Amino acid sequence: MSNINIDTIKERTFDAIVIGSGISGGWAAKELTEKGLKTLVLERGKDVKHVVDYPTTNMYPYEFEHRGEVPFAIQESSPIVNRCYAFREDAMHFFVKDNEHPYVQEKPFDWIRGYQVGGKSLLWARQTQRWSDFDFEGPARDGFAVDWPIRYKDIAPWYSYVEKFAGISGNRDGLKELPDGEFLPAYPLNAVEDYFKGVMSKKYTDRHVISARCAHLSQPNPIHIEQGRVQCQNRVLCQRGCPFGGYFSSNASTLPWAQKTGNLTLRPFSVAHSIIYDEQKGKAVGVKVIDTNTKEEIDYFARIIFVNAAALNTNLILLNSKSNRFPNGLGNDTGLLGKYVAFHNYSARISAEYDGLADYKTEGRNPAGGGYIPRFRNLHKQETDFLRGYAAGFSAYRSADRDTSSLGTDLKEQLLNPKLGPWRVGSHMMAETIPKESNYVTLDADKKDEWGIPLLKISVDYDENDAKMKADYVEQMTEMFTQAGFTNIRANTAGQAPGLDIHEMGGVRMGNDPKTSLLNKWNQLHHCRNVFITDGACMTSTSTQNPSLTYMAFAARSVDFAVNELKKNNL
Amino acid sequence: MKRRAAIKSLFIIAGGIAILPSCSGEAGKASIELSNLDITAVQENLLAEVTETILPKTSSPGAKDLNLHLFVLKMVDDCHSKSDQESFVKGLNSLNSFAKEKFSSEFKELSSAQRIQLLQNLEANEAETDSQRFYGITKRRTIQGFLNSKYVMKDLKQYELIPGKYNGYSAVQKTMEKLG
Repeated sequence: MSNINIDTIKERTFDAIVIGSGISGGWAAKELTEKGLKTLVLERGKDVKHVVDYPTTNMYPYEFEHRGEVPFAIQESSPIVNRCYAFREDAMHFFVKDNEHPYVQEKPFDWIRGYQVGGKSLLWARQTQRWSDFDFEGPARDGFAVDWPIRYKDIAPWYSYVEKFAGISGNRDGLKELPDGEFLPAYPLNAVEDYFKGVMSKKYTDRHVISARCAHLSQPNPIHIEQGRVQCQNRVLCQRGCPFGGYFSSNASTLPWAQKTGNLTLRPFSVAHSIIYDEQKGKAVGVKVIDTNTKEEIDYFARIIFVNAAALNTNLILLNSKSNRFPNGLGNDTGLLGKYVAFHNYSARISAEYDGLADYKTEGRNPAGGGYIPRFRNLHKQETDFLRGYAAGFSAYRSADRDTSSLGTDLKEQLLNPKLGPWRVGSHMMAETIPKESNYVTLDADKKDEWGIPLLKISVDYDENDAKMKADYVEQMTEMFTQAGFTNIRANTAGQAPGLDIHEMGGVRMGNDPKTSLLNKWNQLHHCRNVFITDGACMTSTSTQNPSLTYMAFAARSVDFAVNELKKNNL
Repeated sequence: MKRRAAIKSLFIIAGGIAILPSCSGEAGKASIELSNLDITAVQENLLAEVTETILPKTSSPGAKDLNLHLFVLKMVDDCHSKSDQESFVKGLNSLNSFAKEKFSSEFKELSSAQRIQLLQNLEANEAETDSQRFYGITKRRTIQGFLNSKYVMKDLKQYELIPGKYNGYSAVQKTMEKLG
């Protein structure tokens, strides 16, 4: 580490600082360094170098001590992260354990975090859909939150820009509600997914089943090869880190790219304490960092600062950035900082069986996961007693049915020569939630972490709108499954706490009016114009799409603006 | 590399994973290092017989060949609650008294038909007793260890790390290839 013993201000001064190395921070770093800015990327966790730091990536199932299971003692001491589907023996080293980084829950909230270089971009579900104007115009049309300061046309070129580099597979489906992008070939639907798509297109005019769009290299272009990435091998072991770079992550893509420019300094083990505000200059001048190993406090300086610490930690850093000018947190003249937090409601799923198409099965694994049903509820106009709607995943699979009731040679025969079971289908709800003032995060008044930073206090809950939407999802999907002749339809509505969707958003929302929002249309703090926020914290509303692609586009677009402003000496 | 090979040879391979052998080397103790369970060599051998009854050696390897009893112990030791662990040990301990009650000899002396009958009785038992929990855990973990063993996954080609393909319209073979 050449950058550990920096002791002069000059050596601690960069053109730009990016807080966070996850999916949006990686993009900010790539864009800033490509535009020639000496950029410091701060990461609170350990370094994870592409390929070399993926310790489990090539392991066979039988090479895991517990065959993938998380040992009981870890399950007991980390009940929150243990509820995450990807928290398994093969990837648990990429997740924050509950006791490592405590937070305060005023209401149950499963905060799933990945503190390492690359952040959760190593662990994400890789689903990537564009927003449309049905989404950006939502708050204005339906009278919640505030109007988005941008429309689809503002961000569309930036979607294209990031899609080409990241590599997104999908079909051009021609749906207004889910605009087409710069796609690599889609992963086709399987026999039953295709069948369901056909039934839906006959029975409804507005319910579409499409191939899930995802950040996998189904067929790499030269730009991906140049990144050192090759075709996805359909291993579907993505959460371990991919030695092929088959899916997009900061580690495989944006960070090595930024490194190649010679303008990147990456500093792991560096938790951002606060952003330093200079009262005389009337702007931010740097970031106060604590080295997590030595506990040493170090100030780094730069002309512009990008905060990409992941939605809730971005809120925490801003709330903790107190000055005479901003006693309630950076840019927070309105008291809105930390409020209007929202998420995606993932609290229902449905499964069923299908006896048809028995001559087919699947072979291999589908990295896209199957099908995707874009939002159809309240799309063109309000038509239900709840606001907004939901998207849904849809997938079908066929696995071996093993009868394990016998013993001895009979049992062995059953295990070694299983019968093919019926097709099984499943769907899960991905619903928009409405940002509200009563869903918020604040700093705990007393409790601090081991670096003296106040703990984040989270107070986020479902509401009646969420409950109505969930009931509607179950009703509509049941109807759709019934029409397709699926049987044994079972809804699981046991639910889960907010947070487990890992799509927490908001708290530093964008808007046109500085009185009702914190960021302008360029993701720039209204009241501290050299600070930019392009992660989930900026989201004015959530819509139903998986959000990462939109964060990437915001980051690239915002850097472009910021660097132009710097050149014009406006910052 | 010589050192690595030497260390590797110290590990016991259970269904394909390396398990640290017991350090104590104490006579009469289990052959692998356990943190929560206190298991004797006699208990370990009895468990081996139970797993072999569940999945016996035929033309293909059986539970003992694949060290599945050690896999069961490892999983119970690391991945089960204290209550499960207690029931497991109690259930294991009571197995011989069941055998004596029913067939007037210890489990290891029984014919394979008698062993199967005894274990099936345990499975059919409606009240949730320690014996039943012991047997439920052992059967589930033995099956898991077998299906996830290197033998089944790699040697029988039931799992490919890099298939590099996905076919959503794969034709179902009328007769499936017999594996064993």
